[in-house]
Amino acid sequence: MMKHANMLKVLFLLLTWTTATALFAQDMTVKGKVTDASDGNSLPGVTIAVKNTTTGTISDVDGNYTITVTKGATLVFSFIGYNPQEFVIQNQQTLNVSLSPSITSLNQVLIIGYGQVKKGDATGSVTAVSTKDFNRGSITNPMELMSGKTAGVQIISNSGAPGSGATIRIRGGSSLYASNDPLYVIDGVPVANDGIAGTRNALSTINPNDIETFTILKDASATAIYGSRASNGVILITTKKGSTEGTGTTRPFVLDYTANFSAYTIPKTREVLDGDAFRAMVSDKFSGRENVLALLGDGNTDWQKEILRSTMGMDHNISATGSFKNLPYRASVGYASYDGILKTDNLQRTSVGLNLNPSLLDDHLKVNLNGKGMFSKQRFGNEGSIGAALQMDPTKPVYDENNAYGGYWAWLQNSGDPVGQATTNPLAMIELRDDQADVTRFLGNAQFDYKMHFLPELRANLNLGLDYSKSEGNVVVPPYATFSYDKLNGGGELSTWDQKKRNELLDFTLTYARNLPSLSSKFDIMGGYSWQHFRREGSNLRTNDTLSAGFVNLISDTSDNATEYYLVSFFTRLNYTIFDRYLFTFTLRNDGSSRFSPDHRWGLFPSAAFAWRIMDEPWMKNVKTLSQLKLRLGWGLTGQQDIGGDYPHLARYTYSNQTASYLLGSNYFITLRPEGYDKMIKWEETTTLNLGIDFGFANDRIYGSIDVYKRNTKDLLNYVPVPAGSNLSNYIWTNVGDLENQGIEFTINGRPYVDKDFSWDIGFNATFNKNKITRLTMYDDPNYIGILTGGISGGVGNTIQIHSVGQPTNSFFVYEQVYDPDGKPIEGLYVDRNKDGKITDDDRYHYKKPAADVYLGINSRLNYKNWDFIFSGRANLGNYVYDNFSSNNATYERLYRPEGPYLANVAANVDEAGFTVPQYLSDYYIKDASFFKLDNVTLGYTFNKMFNSDARLRLTATVNNVFTITQYKGLDPEIFSGIDYSMYPRTRVFVLGLNLQF
Amino acid sequence: MNKFRNIFLILTGLAFIVASCTKDLDTVPLDKDELTSAQVYEKPEAYKQILAKLYAGLAVSGQQGPAGMADISGIDEGFGQYLRGYWYHQELTTDEAVIGWNDQTIKDFHWQTWGPGDVFISAFYYRIFYQVALCNEFIRETTPEKLDSRNVEGQLRTDIETYRAEARFLRALSYYHALDLFGNVPFVTEEDEVGSFFPPQKSRADLFSYIEGELMAIEPLLVAARQNEYGRADKAAAWTLLAKLYLNAKVYTGVEKLNECVTYCQNIINAGYSLEPNYEHLFLADNHLATNEVIFSINFDGRRTQTYGGTTFLVHAPIGENMVPLDYGVSDGWGGVRTTKAFVYKFYPDATSSLRLNPIPPKKLKSTYPLIYVPGSHQGWDPANTATVLASVLSDGNYEGYLWFPANTEFKFTTGPNWDENYGDTGADGILDPGGDNIIAAEEGYYKINVNLNDLTFTFAKTHWGVIGSATAGGWDSDQDMTYDAATGMWTASLELSAGEMKFRANDGWDINLGDTGFDGILEYNGDNIAIAQAGTYSISMKLGVPDYTYVIERGSYDHRAMFFTDGQQLEIVEIGDFTNGWAITKWKNITRTGENGSDLTFPDTDFPMFRLADIYLMYAEAVLRGATNGSTGDALTYVNLIRTRAFAGESNGNITGGQLTLDFILDERARELYWEGHRRTDLIRFGQFSNGTYVWPWKGKVPDGTQTSSHLDLFPLPSSDVGANPNLQQNSGY
Repeated sequence: MMKHANMLKVLFLLLTWTTATALFAQDMTVKGKVTDASDGNSLPGVTIAVKNTTTGTISDVDGNYTITVTKGATLVFSFIGYNPQEFVIQNQQTLNVSLSPSITSLNQVLIIGYGQVKKGDATGSVTAVSTKDFNRGSITNPMELMSGKTAGVQIISNSGAPGSGATIRIRGGSSLYASNDPLYVIDGVPVANDGIAGTRNALSTINPNDIETFTILKDASATAIYGSRASNGVILITTKKGSTEGTGTTRPFVLDYTANFSAYTIPKTREVLDGDAFRAMVSDKFSGRENVLALLGDGNTDWQKEILRSTMGMDHNISATGSFKNLPYRASVGYASYDGILKTDNLQRTSVGLNLNPSLLDDHLKVNLNGKGMFSKQRFGNEGSIGAALQMDPTKPVYDENNAYGGYWAWLQNSGDPVGQATTNPLAMIELRDDQADVTRFLGNAQFDYKMHFLPELRANLNLGLDYSKSEGNVVVPPYATFSYDKLNGGGELSTWDQKKRNELLDFTLTYARNLPSLSSKFDIMGGYSWQHFRREGSNLRTNDTLSAGFVNLISDTSDNATEYYLVSFFTRLNYTIFDRYLFTFTLRNDGSSRFSPDHRWGLFPSAAFAWRIMDEPWMKNVKTLSQLKLRLGWGLTGQQDIGGDYPHLARYTYSNQTASYLLGSNYFITLRPEGYDKMIKWEETTTLNLGIDFGFANDRIYGSIDVYKRNTKDLLNYVPVPAGSNLSNYIWTNVGDLENQGIEFTINGRPYVDKDFSWDIGFNATFNKNKITRLTMYDDPNYIGILTGGISGGVGNTIQIHSVGQPTNSFFVYEQVYDPDGKPIEGLYVDRNKDGKITDDDRYHYKKPAADVYLGINSRLNYKNWDFIFSGRANLGNYVYDNFSSNNATYERLYRPEGPYLANVAANVDEAGFTVPQYLSDYYIKDASFFKLDNVTLGYTFNKMFNSDARLRLTATVNNVFTITQYKGLDPEIFSGIDYSMYPRTRVFVLGLNLQF
Repeated sequence: MNKFRNIFLILTGLAFIVASCTKDLDTVPLDKDELTSAQVYEKPEAYKQILAKLYAGLAVSGQQGPAGMADISGIDEGFGQYLRGYWYHQELTTDEAVIGWNDQTIKDFHWQTWGPGDVFISAFYYRIFYQVALCNEFIRETTPEKLDSRNVEGQLRTDIETYRAEARFLRALSYYHALDLFGNVPFVTEEDEVGSFFPPQKSRADLFSYIEGELMAIEPLLVAARQNEYGRADKAAAWTLLAKLYLNAKVYTGVEKLNECVTYCQNIINAGYSLEPNYEHLFLADNHLATNEVIFSINFDGRRTQTYGGTTFLVHAPIGENMVPLDYGVSDGWGGVRTTKAFVYKFYPDATSSLRLNPIPPKKLKSTYPLIYVPGSHQGWDPANTATVLASVLSDGNYEGYLWFPANTEFKFTTGPNWDENYGDTGADGILDPGGDNIIAAEEGYYKINVNLNDLTFTFAKTHWGVIGSATAGGWDSDQDMTYDAATGMWTASLELSAGEMKFRANDGWDINLGDTGFDGILEYNGDNIAIAQAGTYSISMKLGVPDYTYVIERGSYDHRAMFFTDGQQLEIVEIGDFTNGWAITKWKNITRTGENGSDLTFPDTDFPMFRLADIYLMYAEAVLRGATNGSTGDALTYVNLIRTRAFAGESNGNITGGQLTLDFILDERARELYWEGHRRTDLIRFGQFSNGTYVWPWKGKVPDGTQTSSHLDLFPLPSSDVGANPNLQQNSGY
């Protein structure tokens, strides 16, 4: 990397040589009126700026403006929601301008991989979501900004914990065991996907307020330029930049202050028996068993109430955007603090961002420097307490002042020692475990785009990126905590850990663009090289609590490790347009990864796309109702190499820890273990075929698109059983299996009503996706049932799902329950599906799956004068959930546990099925979890011209997670894994926000 | 132009970087705990560390201990541990054990309803082949050519050659388990490369020959019997495995090889092993001391060899309900494993449900109570003598105790161990007087003495104790007298008791009687009857003197291998999931011979004796009874009676006669001697009683009383996942 660091220096030198030249000036006055091209109404509030200066003005209530400019200057008219227009001022005194709403958007510039394209010229399935469309409210994870906005993109927040991540799937995911996460590219820097220790989610380290747009590349013709990491789609994140344009213009800079004050509440808790009901049930079910009844207490404790709370949070962000001399900049500072609804859970985050994007050498060299720093301090509430609260005996008090375990009531043996197998006091789990982490992250890049002086059609682009994070944390548990108790050697825990991650990038591209009028064609060709290095190291030291004097300081686990991988790539793209309406794109990427052996390291990923702008055909001129119509056809091959381990192809040996050493003679030997590996491992490959139509009606008052796609993944990177004895473990990462996804996406946006005071925008999208495994083994074995997956709570190792050929991934694999005439399930009685007279494994069948058949999204925005009202919601249809909470906690056997002995609480609906012994694998527990969720409702009011200045104030009131309509009786129907046990509840949030610009 | 020159330089630089960066793709692990195969064998010490892993593969489940960095995947780590998997297959499928948990298909073992999709079966299958693959790797890397190429010479080379023979032994051991459980299995040796190929299937008979050949081949290379380091295999280990192969040869190949079995048993017996005198010691935290008997063991350590399988499972899983975990050296129980009545009957043919079994262990005194002292002529007028005191159990001024007085004993009471405050009885009116006259007991005898310091009254009365109850010859009508032993201060009796109940009482009446409420070994006045589960000769002793009053009822001669816990347990298994159904077993413990805990309360120090002499004795006897011509029935009887004598704590009343030494007896004796040590399934199959109807036990075939099952169950199925992955595999018939 030294070489690259030197490169950076050279380029900075290059920058410092350059100085801007001043222009000679001659002033004149221009006036005029700005109107809306779609309806002719005047447009107030339009920014009229002199390009490359800080001069500008705003149109008044009637759309009129006056501005003094220099002859030859360029005026830029811009307004949110409209396409900006530029005019060079020669002699005209009056300039009336009509702006067309930008929803027409054909000229909207989309960021794509290693470049950008006008939307009208795009050949792939590309969708952008920008600031104005973002979800509002308390957003700690940037992905929530675009939840529900885009067809084919599912964003499922993982839990209600502060800073928790989201599971994101673009078109359902193309892998089985390798990652199904899309590739994230932040300002041109692809970031590692393996998380940062000490945060619940790596993306939540990005301040949502710094984000300008998300661009989602969905089909292979768009993503294949990212080659080996593109199979699950690509999300390009662009952060806000400094600007000389559209920033209020009469002032050198604009300050923007945003604050949100949030109240978090718990929409619902799980229903378990209260103390009285529990006493009654135990007395009934265990009548006569004196030793059992003697365990009952006389309290009434709601353990969920003891560990959960309603909390507050806030965030403040301030940014300055403007231009210093000719140096556009944006600087921002953010601070956020949230308390989780689980006691002790807390997140504090400070972020700073700086962007400089000067243009040098007569605009030949454009430089874009981005730096973002983030510091977070987090205490993690012990999430294990959520499950414990569901099981803890409600007849027991919270505290027992006199006991030796911190004063928390605990199940004890006669000896006074805790009962090891019994439920731990949930509050003690939280309050006696101090788990904290500090994370620092720097994410920055320097991009240089140089238009050759000697050949302006040729541009060189260099992007240097660095993503660095450093985390430190520790866990402290006192020796008297029952869950860390060790009578002999002293209990407690004192562990410290740290992690450093460094991800370096060097991208270099050359682009050549030319018109070929003789052929009625134009083309551009890009060639590039990319080098990326990912390195991660960390250490972990765990001892028992040093406070427990007199005991051996037991080092039970130490580890320090470092690991790295490299990606080196060459890529090219050709765009070719004929007659301005037939567009062709070809891309090719050659990727080399250090994760694979030299013989299998290089993968080739081609794509081809064709778009036909039907609207521009001469014979369409008379079709007035249609305002745009484009057909897109794309094909491409993409790869996947994200399997966690960095050396799956190498023969390696691993040392054991001390605690896994072995006695030979009189010495304990640390052992050395050979690891399983596959010399032949390589990428998995996904072929995608996409057919899309973009359309618009009535001057694009209504517009949308339909995409149909089919994706076949072959040589799946799977972690599967290999033939016994053939390798050094029974499971290895290898390429076996095929998977197929197909679906339809439909998006429609409309503006049913627009006038001066009132406008309404509404958008709707729908996705149908179906996946199916088409091959799983190295050779065809019709009897092979598949790979069991989906571990559940209850027993050890029980699984409820399966990957089987011909079935969707993660299908539930269950017995068919038999019911009595009253509709009550009969315990232990299942349908003998294969009719062999006995109920065996062979009677399990595939029944439903966690993924929805249909995903719907709706969003609406109403503006009335200074008021606005926004809502967005989502629906999933045909998604099923395994109610693991009921299957495990709604049985009578659970009440009394002889291994303690102790008592455990059960679900309030225990009598519904009335099972004594758990029937984990019954399809009785597979429940339809279709839902509609209203995610977001915001009411806002904007004060323009505050205090007779240009200051602008916007006040909002938002509710997130407003309501859910579902027939599923559990806590929350939206469970990505499909297995519902003890979720950290998603919160309902009430937010008051203010945004001040001045 | 400078600019152009710089751009040119940049482009040239980039071209250079592009070329050099593709070299970046050749990475090796950065972690110092992770080495490439080439780096490993540069280190002389690595050979023994890899050998240690081959052994550790039987003990731990991964490189982290107790869980983490698992060796095999697809199953919970603890379940995937070798010994636990082996134990499940060999014990849960038989009369010796049931397990109450709801883990996946675990109850299918006892019900004998398993199928090829069973996760436990596939986990142990893969564990076997994991072990084989590890051994292959080591054998492949220690060929003479490879050692030459690395210039390994001298002592290290000699050592490695022994290690290599041990690796071959360990591979043979795992292949033996494959042979016994799965029969016809995939076959891989060091000749095969690591990869993803389809190993060929070897028939059971061919595998038998292979293992036999391997063991023969390594016999000369292994260290002499009893001469290797603890935990490592020697010649005797190989002989044991050969003896086991041959004893079961009929099952594996259809051909008896009994003489060969006897030969190898004799080799072992002649190598100088002897039975550990105390059976219980073989299963304790310090059982590594029993090297006189143990031929090959899997070693565990509470601090350094941690797992959730192995003896961690064997100690924790059978503890539940009324059992006190600390009595077995662990902090908690897992409430899972018990046994069936069919097995209990091997020891107690007349056992009935829920009766407690004797002997009762003596309990420690609850606490110390306030005392007063009884100096007198019986003890030399010494008020400081703590043997002659009375105690106030309730600390309420009422003192009681029992003392032996010779005739015409004179005595007084003192409140301290001195004469400062002393009481006599002037006037013999039963009222105490400070400094009063001596009290006189005219008759010799055992006196119950009560003093009330609140009102200064006292009584003393002579008692003579006996035993009464339905368990005694006199029933509830007449006492069986006990005798007082002045030397020990105990009342004792040796009686023939039948199953029933009994109490202690004084003076042939009910005025003063003692029972045991709560069955804690401490006697209470008018306490509950004491249950006697088994007929037999008992020695009964009772110690009164100073409270607490305790007693011990010991069965005179009985089989000490019967280690049951029955309090709160019922013999009948109605619900397999209910821990109280079926008697609990206390064979495996994490306490030492001296009663100390192991080094950790979660992970026992207890090793697992995989091969031990008693097994060899029984194998010898069985082979002779089955018709081996190179052994003698006289020796067979001697060996069996050595085992019996140990079982009966050195007494000969458990010994059998030549006429009693039958094959049926051997099968039952193997159950009594070797239960819960992983032998039962193989034994039942050899005797044809595993699946057929000649012998059934509760819940065999998933019915409460047990029923015949299909003979295809004598072999486990190959896991469907391997049949799916390897086209060379033919499933065992019946699945």
